[in-house]
Amino acid sequence: MGYKLSFETVNSLFNELRKEYKIYAPKRFPKAGRYSDTDIIRYAEIKNVEEIVFDEKSDYPAKEVVSPITQTLFYFTEDEYREAKVHDKKVLIFARPCDINAQMNQDKIFLENGFEDTFYKRMRDKVNYVMMECTSSEDTCFCCSMGTNKTDNYGLAARFEEGQVLFNVKDDKFAPFFEGKEEAEYTVKFIEENETKVTIPVIPNKDVLNKLKEHDMWKEFNKRCVSCGSCTIACSTCTCFTTTDISYNENGSVGERRRTAASCQVAGFDEMAGGHDFRKTTADRYRYKTLHKIHDYNERFGQGHMCVGCGRCTERCPEFISFTATIEKVNKAVKEICGGECNA
Amino acid sequence: MNHDIDVKATRINCFRQSKVAGEFMLQLRVPGSIIDAKHLTSVQHIAETWGDGTFHIGMRHTLNIPGIKYENIPAVNEYINNYIKEVEVVECDVEMETCGKGYPTIGARNIMACIGNSHCIKANVNTHELAKKIEKEVFPSHYHIKTTVAGCPNDCAKAHFNDFGVIGIAKMEYDRDRCIGCGACVEACSHHATRVLSLVNGKIEKDTCCCVGCGECVLACPTSAWTRNEKKFYRIMIGGRTGKQYPRMGKMFANWVTEDVVLAIFRNWPKFSAWALDYKPVYLHGGHLIDRAGYIKFKELILEGVELNPEAQIAERIYWQEDEKRANINVKPIAKHNSAGPGSQDGRH
Amino acid sequence: MHNELMPVACQILEFKQETQTEFTIKVATGDLKVEHGQFCQLSIPKIGECPISVSDYGDGWMDFTIRAVGKVTDEVFKLEAGDQLFIRGAYGKGWPVDQFKGKNVVIIAGGTGVAPVKSMINKFANEEGFAQSVNIIAGFKDENGILFKDTLKVWEEKFNTIYTLDRDEKEGFRTGLVTKFIEEIPFKDFGDNYEVVIVGPPIMMHFAGLECVKQGIPEEKIWVSFERKMSCAIGKCGHCRIDETYVCLEGPVFNYTQAKKLID
Repeated sequence: MGYKLSFETVNSLFNELRKEYKIYAPKRFPKAGRYSDTDIIRYAEIKNVEEIVFDEKSDYPAKEVVSPITQTLFYFTEDEYREAKVHDKKVLIFARPCDINAQMNQDKIFLENGFEDTFYKRMRDKVNYVMMECTSSEDTCFCCSMGTNKTDNYGLAARFEEGQVLFNVKDDKFAPFFEGKEEAEYTVKFIEENETKVTIPVIPNKDVLNKLKEHDMWKEFNKRCVSCGSCTIACSTCTCFTTTDISYNENGSVGERRRTAASCQVAGFDEMAGGHDFRKTTADRYRYKTLHKIHDYNERFGQGHMCVGCGRCTERCPEFISFTATIEKVNKAVKEICGGECNA
Repeated sequence: MNHDIDVKATRINCFRQSKVAGEFMLQLRVPGSIIDAKHLTSVQHIAETWGDGTFHIGMRHTLNIPGIKYENIPAVNEYINNYIKEVEVVECDVEMETCGKGYPTIGARNIMACIGNSHCIKANVNTHELAKKIEKEVFPSHYHIKTTVAGCPNDCAKAHFNDFGVIGIAKMEYDRDRCIGCGACVEACSHHATRVLSLVNGKIEKDTCCCVGCGECVLACPTSAWTRNEKKFYRIMIGGRTGKQYPRMGKMFANWVTEDVVLAIFRNWPKFSAWALDYKPVYLHGGHLIDRAGYIKFKELILEGVELNPEAQIAERIYWQEDEKRANINVKPIAKHNSAGPGSQDGRH
Repeated sequence: MHNELMPVACQILEFKQETQTEFTIKVATGDLKVEHGQFCQLSIPKIGECPISVSDYGDGWMDFTIRAVGKVTDEVFKLEAGDQLFIRGAYGKGWPVDQFKGKNVVIIAGGTGVAPVKSMINKFANEEGFAQSVNIIAGFKDENGILFKDTLKVWEEKFNTIYTLDRDEKEGFRTGLVTKFIEEIPFKDFGDNYEVVIVGPPIMMHFAGLECVKQGIPEEKIWVSFERKMSCAIGKCGHCRIDETYVCLEGPVFNYTQAKKLID
């Protein structure tokens, strides 16, 4: 069922929803960008529809709502670790198809891989999506190449228009909120083509993979990549984290254990106690990330690649390293290794 | 050659005397060191019509056209009337008459600026916008002052070597929850700035007092944990200069002041100069006036009526450090000591 | 809901100094389950967590042999019997002990690498006949680096042992790297009824692996235990991942056919 709501009506809808839900959406943080007088768009709790940035890609992904950059896991005393509590509201996230698909990919790691992650699950269970329809695609987007331009994993769909929002109620539990609202024809659409297109290389076996790891193509990144990790924090699918304990005072034994997003691009990610690390160069680390996104993850879970083509890594890279350009270079390298035979 | 020229008058008119008798070099002001590129055709026209066909980029970012004959100065002044109107009146909102007689004064020198944040990734402020606002405050004035605006503490604009050097700085905000403890800011600060950051248990600790407000931490931060406060701040360096006798680097006069404060200070500059020189402009630059008045008197007059923002810091005293090219240049008989204030320019002390 | 990341308080029963920087703690671990070759996450509140392999275990207790080289291990070093620390685990895939049954087992271990195989060797010692024969090459850097001195003596009596020091001379020890002594193992007598275990620092494992292959040992008979930065130990944090493999889940023990292809 479709509805047409003026911004004013959306705000009163939000007021109703907020009794049960915390609403998160991409929001503008003026002048908070890397360079002066540039903005940042990132996910934050909102109250009004006017706060939602619907016509630009957010700099940071929706994953931050479910797995925030820093999260307290336990509070400890000398004798026990106590699980940190979570708020008791449900969560409504305005997210684009790529971000919703990205969360599905994160689910595999947090919920299926090995053990279930309690902290992720308890937040994930709260989440309902309002799928923000993309009416245009930006030049760094390549969701169609990754097959992540579409999703049916949402409760509501929304199309933003001048001063009004079209809603499609897919999950009946939201129907009561729309009772008496103006009905309208609204068929959900997805982006069908991006300006940027890539083919993901087929890496047929471990031998090719290991030859690819040693290929000269990575060398350029020793000069270009600065290992800052911006791409992984902006990535809608990266999940890695580091756990740290902090005490509230110097001598006391009361404190908290928290986890913080970690980046495989930052030196020390794989460093063991005693100082041995395995990926010593910038190129090693960039190669590690790249292959996870377009090979390793799919090799493990088998239901599509980790990368959802949101393009945020390219947007946020301070050194103008384009991920799609990198994928093309991998393509070329794989062709070289296989003599042009193995790449579909 | 038989010339009868008032070179002082032509200098005030922004035509500088050449070693070739009867020739002059026009200095076109470029406030904020930026103008529409279309004006370059005017520069070309002047150079090719009245000059020697060349132009020089002035050391204070003026556009200089040498080789102009004295008798052509009126024609050139007529021609640059439109340039002055567009650049000074329209762009900078300067209150002046444009009557085809060229620049009314050379006193307040061209206000320079680095490219600033309209382009530069390091800059914290829009330097030319501020320069243009300062132009409105100090031009046209016969009192000599050299001013520059730098977009960040890297100071490519040489704020440390001007009478007044304004530097764009930023107050940083740190969001602990967004910080991943990668240490990039610590490294950036230690490499490029004042080493005020350290990584303690996965998060950052900062020695706020020594932060120069450059923004290197923000540039290095991969997560936007570091951001610049929306409010723009400035540092003002005073008394820097080059010169044959006693070049010196300027000293910090004001820190963490807002644009309103910067402009209010510049508004007081002509008043201070007039007082220091007893209302008789002479060819003496700002730094020397501060020397004569003494920092305490300067501070009193320059801050008169200025409403400081809460974050503002003002130097209580300044210890100058001239590089004395002539030994003991400050050591001389009492009778030769320069002084400031009423009557000071009449030979009394 | 069970929270796998929640550590439980455990009491230290014994503290034994092994070398200057290495020590073994015996900890009362209640009903935590463990297999040979697995590891646990040890926690000290406000310092943090680190992965430590289980060097021995029995009913309600585990041994951890630890080198003080990091924030957490340095802190554990300061503890003594009666003190408390926090543990979760055990994690990972251990040695395929059942596959070793009735076989000639060759164990090549270097330094602290002896720890993750110690409980398994003790099992072989306690259950006579479980393994057809046990052949141990154990190498240490120097005299000061020798671990489990008493246990080594027990093994010496029961098994074929070659103990060596990289660059030191001592009675009962030969001198040289473990790789040098692999050719002394009577593989010819084993037919194909044998398995080889290699465990130690990354470089030692690399060269010992190559040496074994050079000796004609089929790769599928070689087993190694990987050390990586296991941080969450439950397949989430990503620090130990190599390609599609999570060392904390599929490892730390790998068959050499798989291990040789795991390039970080």
